[in-house]
Amino acid sequence: MKAVFYTADPLAWADDLGGAPWPLLPVANRPLLDYWLETCAELGIGHVQVILGEGADEVEKFSGGGARWGVEIQYSFARASEQPLDYLKATSDRWEDGLLFIGGAFFLRRRQAYTPSGFQTLEACRHGADGKTWFLYGKNGDEVKALLDGHSGSERGLEQIHIHPFFIDGIPAYFDINMKMVMGEFSRYVTAGFSTVDGSSVGYNVLTPPSAHLKPPLIIGNDCRFGPMTTIGGKAVVADHVIVDSHTELSNCLILQDTYIGRNLEVSNKIISGNRLISAVDGTVVEIDDSWIVAQNRPDMRTEDLVRYIILWFLAFCVMLVQVIPFCILYPLVRLTRIGIFKKEIFHDPRTGYISLLIFHKLENRKSIVYRLFLAGTLDRLPLLLLALRGRLFVCGQPPMRHPIDDDIVSQLPHYYPAVFSYANYNKDSDRLVDSLWYAHIRSLFEDVKILIKSLLYRFFRAGSM
Amino acid sequence: MIVTCSKNQGIGVIQVSQALTAASVDTFREQLASWQSVEVDVTNFVIDLKQVDFMDSAGLGTLIAVLKQITERGGDMKIACLQKKPRMVFEITRAYKVFEIYDTVDEALKMYK
Repeated sequence: MKAVFYTADPLAWADDLGGAPWPLLPVANRPLLDYWLETCAELGIGHVQVILGEGADEVEKFSGGGARWGVEIQYSFARASEQPLDYLKATSDRWEDGLLFIGGAFFLRRRQAYTPSGFQTLEACRHGADGKTWFLYGKNGDEVKALLDGHSGSERGLEQIHIHPFFIDGIPAYFDINMKMVMGEFSRYVTAGFSTVDGSSVGYNVLTPPSAHLKPPLIIGNDCRFGPMTTIGGKAVVADHVIVDSHTELSNCLILQDTYIGRNLEVSNKIISGNRLISAVDGTVVEIDDSWIVAQNRPDMRTEDLVRYIILWFLAFCVMLVQVIPFCILYPLVRLTRIGIFKKEIFHDPRTGYISLLIFHKLENRKSIVYRLFLAGTLDRLPLLLLALRGRLFVCGQPPMRHPIDDDIVSQLPHYYPAVFSYANYNKDSDRLVDSLWYAHIRSLFEDVKILIKSLLYRFFRAGSM
Repeated sequence: MIVTCSKNQGIGVIQVSQALTAASVDTFREQLASWQSVEVDVTNFVIDLKQVDFMDSAGLGTLIAVLKQITERGGDMKIACLQKKPRMVFEITRAYKVFEIYDTVDEALKMYK
């Protein structure tokens, strides 16, 4: 038997919960995908195909080759023109040995009587909502073909083996399943040797002062810090790397990872994800940029980011050193001949919202050796380079986006790295949105160095035609 | 203008027209204080937050400071038309225990009778 997990369709409600792709949203501190893969392991499914969409990198990074679950995972991207069932039909010869398909935020909620061996007796079935198939199971090619042709399969579906098909179709449902887990269902998903006698589960490296009060049922992840006089629980699910300040009470709530919760607060019936406060009842989201209340605990800078930062900073420093003297000579000449001038313009900034940058503008459209030399040395970028050395811009990345002209583009970028050098510097036909998305997808030290070298060389050799 | 002040049955009705955050609380305080200096006989207030769609700790702190100042003068302050998002901030900061909150300005005014 093979399994296919289709994660390509975005879920709007999941975006409100932070940056994690929805297959990695935690249910009782374990990503949804983890439960699916665990089910595959229990069923003896050896081959899993994960069809990726947004957040592909993170999904792939989490599940890797699948060795952790004893399965082999293959990844592919969805085609925009193809629905998941069309894909399954088109490749129906691959499902001769059976298929387990999950195509949305679907949780296999185990009832008390559930045992993994139940799957051996499970008849072909499918579950879906809003005209979309979320779950499909067939033990052989004929069963799978019948289901793909529209046959509904067993009426009782997964309930025959004591699994409640739980559709996570919004924030209230997501909160609900977490609360169900913390109320005792969590123990149905843990492996032998793990005890939750008093309904509490506390991860590694959790610091609690003696005055903190932990009230089961609760689930706490790893690397959490609680302040004095805090009360955690009952019915609290706290993910990894959460800090709760003193005199704060958490109950009937879900705190997602990397969250800081301020002093003397009372959190109930809410989801908190970083600086987002989300109502568990109607999904209302408030973003609070106020570290007195809630804030994002930034994960530590990764080693590769640090290496990239140091190397690029050094390269930028070298470029700046080379540029300083020519700039001091040529810029006064450029001003005297009135060919160009620096003007301040407002651009989007990922940290402060907006930033004012000095951009060089050509004033007169006439040929000038001074202007050509100025461009050949990329001296028009020196002010931006200085900002990059101060850490206000990236050295290589996406072109800075103007405000308000480029607001639409910025709103479509999941990651925005405004930089001195970008693909646009050496590619005249550059589409900024496409290039920016592509850069965010393949961002690496190699790519940054390539952009830097190509930009400098292109400008050096092509300055006359610019 | 962030604040529009009026007098209704001898009670000051303070309409706030934008988010109460660190960026706007100083203006809010100044405009309220300048109206209070003219209308010295007004001791009771209703703060109408119908147009306030966001509030941070600075906004909340300012409301608490205003409440303290009003009660020290022997008056009272009630809050009306608290919107969904600021209400969530009120809930987690326990501010709902400090303020009397009403759905409408009329309801808040009635409570003074």
